Order: sequence, then structure tokens, then C-alpha cells
Amino acid sequence: MTNGHPLIQVKNLDLYFGAFHALKNVSVDFHAGELVGLVGDNGAGKTTLIRVLCGMHTPTSGEVYFDGQRVEKFHPKLAIDQGIETIQQSVGLCDNLSIARNFYLGREPVRRILGIPFLDFTTMRDKSTRVIRQFGLRDNVSADDEVERLSGGERQSVKIGRAVEFRNRVVIMDEPTNHLSVREREHVNELAVQLKKQGLLVIYITHDIFQVHKLADRIVIMENGEKIEDASTSKMTAEQLEEVIRQGGRVVERREALS
Amino acid sequence: MSLAAIKPVVRRHAEIGILLIAVALVAFFSATSDGRWANAYNFATILQVTATLGLMTLGVALVIGTGEIDISVGSTFGMGALVYLWLASRIDPSAAALAAVAVGAAIGLLNGLLVTRTGTPSLIITLGTLMIFRGIAIALTEGFSFSIPYAARKGWSFEILGGGEFLGFNTALYWLILILVVLTVVLTAMPFGNRLLAVGGSAASAHSRGIRVGRIKLSAFVICGALAAFAGTLEAGKLGFADGSMGRLMELQAIASCVLGGCLLAGGRVSLIGALLGAFVLSSIQSYLVVVGVAPQWFLLFLGIIVVLAAYGDQSLRQWALKK
Amino acid sequence: MTVKQLTHTQGLGAIIGVVIMLAAFTMIDFSGWWTRQTIANVVQFTAILGFVAMGQALVIMCKEIDLSVGSVYGLAGVAFITLEPTLGVPGSLLAALVIAALAGLIQAIAVVKGQLPSMIVTLGGLFTARGIIYVWTGGSVHNFSEAARNHPVTRLLGGELFGIEAAIFWLIAVGLALNLLLWATPFGNQLLATGGSKESAESRGVRSDRVKVAAFVLCALLAGFAGVLTLCDRPQTHVTLGELMELEAISAAVIGGCLLAGGRGSLVGAVLGAFIVVSFRYELIALGAPSSWYITFVGVVLIVAVIFNQILARRLGHSV
Repeated sequence: MTNGHPLIQVKNLDLYFGAFHALKNVSVDFHAGELVGLVGDNGAGKTTLIRVLCGMHTPTSGEVYFDGQRVEKFHPKLAIDQGIETIQQSVGLCDNLSIARNFYLGREPVRRILGIPFLDFTTMRDKSTRVIRQFGLRDNVSADDEVERLSGGERQSVKIGRAVEFRNRVVIMDEPTNHLSVREREHVNELAVQLKKQGLLVIYITHDIFQVHKLADRIVIMENGEKIEDASTSKMTAEQLEEVIRQGGRVVERREALS
Repeated sequence: MSLAAIKPVVRRHAEIGILLIAVALVAFFSATSDGRWANAYNFATILQVTATLGLMTLGVALVIGTGEIDISVGSTFGMGALVYLWLASRIDPSAAALAAVAVGAAIGLLNGLLVTRTGTPSLIITLGTLMIFRGIAIALTEGFSFSIPYAARKGWSFEILGGGEFLGFNTALYWLILILVVLTVVLTAMPFGNRLLAVGGSAASAHSRGIRVGRIKLSAFVICGALAAFAGTLEAGKLGFADGSMGRLMELQAIASCVLGGCLLAGGRVSLIGALLGAFVLSSIQSYLVVVGVAPQWFLLFLGIIVVLAAYGDQSLRQWALKK
Repeated sequence: MTVKQLTHTQGLGAIIGVVIMLAAFTMIDFSGWWTRQTIANVVQFTAILGFVAMGQALVIMCKEIDLSVGSVYGLAGVAFITLEPTLGVPGSLLAALVIAALAGLIQAIAVVKGQLPSMIVTLGGLFTARGIIYVWTGGSVHNFSEAARNHPVTRLLGGELFGIEAAIFWLIAVGLALNLLLWATPFGNQLLATGGSKESAESRGVRSDRVKVAAFVLCALLAGFAGVLTLCDRPQTHVTLGELMELEAISAAVIGGCLLAGGRGSLVGAVLGAFIVVSFRYELIALGAPSSWYITFVGVVLIVAVIFNQILARRLGHSV
């Protein structure tokens, strides 16, 4: 499964915020058709790492390759254009806009009249209505409603629906099951597996190792801005991995010292 | 049919509040002024004032929509007027107007670049440029005279640029209507408008969706500067002369109009027609005070109180409409 | 104070600015700058603008802004002179300060209770207070009587002490008190916390609304006091008294290192900022430039200062 060249390759990545060393020499590969769990405590650097991948942060040093090509410029627009879709925790939806407008934000479908691009309202409304029905939003919510009126779970559903709708190569999910009910959670997890089976790379960020161990092919553990473990789920059990997190990487160090 | 039924309408149409105020004021002013306020001549005057203030207000509303603010527009207005007057007696007025708009756009570009490239609050940057260009305007008028000789105040290109009337209204009004329609279409039915509102609603979310936040803000500043200078051009065309204090305090009236019209200062919610109604209400009050013989000084006092009340009223209305 | 502490003060930019400016002015125009008259004027107006700037700095530190200070300054000055015939000098002084404090209080309540942006509320305050000045004076110019000019209170506020403008002593006294208030009392700590992170401050039990009200009232009081000081020195009112002063005061506070993001600032810096702004005015006059260039220069200095401070703050690792 992990043969062939990696879809995303991160080499010796360092990132500073002012004096704060947020990512320390991180190297990791991600392959197409793989579901990778990115796990670690709060402040471990998971979100920072994926924000580099989706173009929101520019690394201080180190290299990122996408599909064998070195990424020179980091901007969300470039990442989205290449097919990297990210479901972020706190950002992604503008409260003041309708669901339909949010759905297509940044890649609005247009109908040209005399060469002037006008929004294609029919497409925007129809497609986003279909997706929000499919993702189980309340029946009285329409695509023209402002996002302001949605609950936390509904917002998450809109973001996930949007990520699935556009044909992408990579879907990154940052704590996708936060704010969700048990049933919604299962639905999201099934979706993640489905996407993987369609040949996409899915990076699933969580601090719940037991949940993601059931889904993922591989687990990457981060701690204090460093990658401390990178193991296939068939090689290590969830309990073993949890021990690694609890020890803050000391288990790995010891193992490496022995070998 | 209950109050609850109109909540969604209020939620989507920020201008409802100002529309009610405008209607009530027009009724009140007409009833209490013995026909001195509500007559064709006075209306034409009010609409001319509304037109120039309104053009400036439209630009400011766009900038406010992105979550920034531009208080340099009063000075840009003055610079536009001076450039137009200086050139109009030398070259064709239409070319002079283009030059004035270009100067305004350049001021807007300067504002926008300083704000987006350095990440500095726009309030401070535009406060700085407000002073810079006001000083330049005064210095220019101390050395040169800016007026068009009466003999030269004719020709179609002079008349369509605020210097003449069409169907009894100053031509500035038609420019206002044209630009209002264009900007409304841009804002509501084009990707640029969608992105502009997204930037104002949540710059971080817009950025994460691949929108170049800086560029959107920069465009808003450029449009705002160009419109303010164009408003100055039209005012100069009407008066035929200008001094260095032209447009002073207009930036505050423009911001007041936006707030009155239901634009959210935090960004993300804009009503162009509402902002215009705001400008109309301010011009109407000013004219009413004149016709009923109240000292014009009261206008400032009212203006201050109205701005705060309007902001409060708009917020309360909005909160009521958002309640489920 | 160690070098490290020095480089970490918010006023660093202003200190550098003052040094460069003085050096430049001395080189350009030694004889025009270092004269008794210029220095006296600069000191007097620095003191006056300094008061307004310190008030503005306090408001900016709790992440709000007060655009009304110019009008409040004018209103207090007009009240001081207009009420003097009926209330006497001490009475009208008190009345002027009460009016100023009320102006601050009303606006503060609109900001915290009405949950409105302070920019809009104080913009309204700017109009309203200026409107009251126009309506009250009817545009006429008021003067002090000879007796009022010679009243000890007038002399104490507006005269000279040991050959130096009295205003500067007031500035030093009030400045010291405010610095103590800001850096050595719980209130100061709460004010900075409110500006830095309102939620965190409130979660620790700080009543951030009250802190903001206090800051607005202090700011208006300082502006009013500055207005009174001006008129004790030159007892004549204009309806335009204090126009554009809000811009000068914000410039001074920003030049002095106040970040609009709140939570950081320096009162000493604000006074130094006022010194820079006022010095520019007199240097330009001394150089014979048209007075309007002064406005342009303040604008340029404001933009340069705010960008410089922004870069400086980022270098020091603050998030701005």
C-alpha cells in the first residue's frame, strides 16, 4: 500500500512563531489511498503541521513536496487548487453569509453575460441544498439561511459536505467529530473510510487514539512540535500507542536507544 | 401574521430600519414646515447634497464591508475637487474628471497598501492620510485659485459632471443611481461581492478558503478613494470653485450614513441602498433646520445624537431578528 | 533601568523619535529652534496636548478609542470662560471639569451598556459636544474680565513658575500620579488586562465594564483639564477650540507606543509623542512653511510611527 512515491512528503520542517518553536524538524510521508491518524495532546503541533500543508502557514525552513513537486509558495488558494481540502476546527465558514455562498466561497460558479462573471445562483442553491439534506441538517434549514443560525454539528456537516463534494486528492480533517452527537460521529468516520477507499489521502486529526485506531492505516504521534511515533496500526495496538503519548515519547527514545 | 413573521425579512434586509426612519422623517418634515421643506426646489437641493455625500458613502460602505474603515475620504473628496477644477479650465472637463478619479484611486491605493502590507489598523493609517491630504489641499489653495470662470461653465461634458441639470435634478443624482446599481450587482451577484463580504465576516475563514484577503481589501480601498474623488468632482462642477476646507467633516457624515443604513462596523454586512438612505436622512435634516430657521449649528448636535441612536437601534433590531 | 528593560518599554520608539527630531531640528535651524519663545511655546503646548494624549493612551490601552476628546477639550474651555461671571473662577473650573467628566461618563455608558463600538459612540460625542459649543456660544468670542485674569487660580494654572510655564508642573504632577495608578495599583493591572484579553480578565473577576468607564471618564477629565489650562494661559474662546485635537492626541499616543490592539502602551511615551507633534508645528512655523503643512507632517509622522511601532512590537515577539 505504501509503495510508489508519497503524495505529500514533508522533509525537515521547522516553524517558528516569533520566538516559539512550533514545529521541530518534522519529516513525514503521506500516500494516496491511505487514512493517517495524526494524534497528540493539545499544543503538540498537529494543527500547525496541517496548516502548513493547507497553505495557511509558511514554514521557516524545510521542504514540502506535493506529488513529487516542491511546494514553493504557501497559500490556501494554491493548496485548494491542487486538491487539498481541509476541514478546520474554528475557521472555514463565514457567519454572515448563507450556506450556499459559503459552500462555494472562493470557487464560485459563474455564468458569463457579456464576459462579466455573475454568480450562478441556481447551481449554488441546488447543489448545496442536496448536500445539506444528505448530511442531515434540519428540514427547516435552507441553503439561503445564514450560517449564523446553524448549530455546531450542522456547521461541521456543511464543512464536511463541502470537502466531499469537490473532487479532491487530499482531505484533511481537524478534530472532525468535535461538537457532534454519537450518531453524527459514526457518519463522519464512515465517510473518512469511504473517501480513503476512493483512493484519496485522508489525514485525520484527533486526540482520541482509540477512535482513530479503528479507522486508520497508520498513526503519526506528535509531541511538543516533534514527530515521536509513526507506526502502522497493524503493528501497534491502541493501548501501546496510548502509552507512547502518555510517556511523551520517552518509550520511543528508550526503544531507539536499545536498538 | 405576527411580528415573528417579519423577522426573516428584517434579518436579510439591513436597510429596513433606515427606511422606516426616512419615511417618518419625510412625513414629519412635510407636516411641520408649511411646504417650505417639501417642495420641488428644496427636494432637488437635498438630492444634490445626497448625491455627493452618497457617492462617498457607497465607497466607505464597501470598505466597512471588509471590516476596515476609511476616514480619509473627506480629504480625498477635497483633492478630487481641486484636481478637477485646476484641470477643467485647461483641458476638457471629462478628461479632468478622469484625472481627479485617478488621483482618488491613487490615494485609495496608498491607504490600501499601507493597511494590507503592514497589517496596521486602517483607522490610524487613514487618519494619517486624512491629515496629509487635507494639509496639501489647504497649501494648494493658499497659493493658487481654484475656480472655473463663468464663461467656461458650459458644454455637455461640464454639465453632465454636476455642472448642469437634467429633468430638474442635478446630473450628480444620475451618476449616483448608475453607480448604486452597478455596485449593488457587483456586491450581490458577483464572486467579488461574495468574497468581499466573506472577508468582512471572517477574514480567517475567507483566507482558509483560498481568498486573497489583502487584494480584496485593497480593491475596496481603491474603489472608495475613486468614488470620493468623483463625488468631489461633481461638487466642484456644481459650485465652480473650491477652497482647501472642501469636504471637511464629510468623512464623519459618510460613516454616520453607513451606520444609519445598517452597515455593521465590524464588517460583513453592507446595505448600499441603506447607506444612501442614511445620506438622504442626514441631508434632509440639515435642510429642514435651514428652512424652519433653526440655527445650522444645531445640525452638528443632532448629527452626534442620531449617530449613536442609530447604531443602538440597528443593533437592537438585529438582535431581535436573530432570536429564534 | 537595564538596557533590556529599556528596549522592552513601549515608549522606546518615541524616545528614539525625540532624539532624532531634536538632532535634526538643531542641525537644520539652530537659531530658530533654540529660542526662548519657541521653547516656551513648545513646552506649554506639549503640556496641554500631553494631558489629552495621556487620557487617550489610557482608553487605547483598554482597547477602545475616544474621538471626542477635541470637542470635550473645547467644551470644557468654553464652559470655564462662559460660566466664570456667575460662578467665579474656582466654581467655573469645577463646573468645567464636571461637564467633561459627564461627557466621558455618558459615552462610556453607551459603549459598555449599549455594547456599541467606541468609535461610533465617540464620533457621535465629537459632533454633539462641538454642536453644544456652537449653540451655546452662538459663534461669539468670550473673554475673561481683568479680575478673572488676575485671580490666583488662573495664575496658578496659566501663569509661570520660576520662569517656566506652570502647565508643565501640572503635567509632571498628574503624569506621576497616573503612572502610579497604571503601574502600581490593582486598577492599573485590571485596565491592562481588560485591554489585553477581556475574556481572561473577566474570568478572573475583573469588572471590565467598570474599568472601561473609569478610563473614559479619566480621558474626558484630562481633556477638560487641558482645555481649562489653555484658557488660563490665553483666556479667549473660539468655537473651533480643540478642533482636530483628537487627531493630534491619537497621533501622540500612537507615536508614544500605544498599540491599538490594546493592553500595551506608555503614558511617558504619549507625552513624548505630544512633544514630537508640537515640536513639528513650531519648527515648521520657524522655517516659514505655510501652517497647513503642519497637518500633513503630523499625518506622515503618525503613519511612520504606527508602522515602526508595529514592527518593533513584532520583533519583541508581541502578537499584533
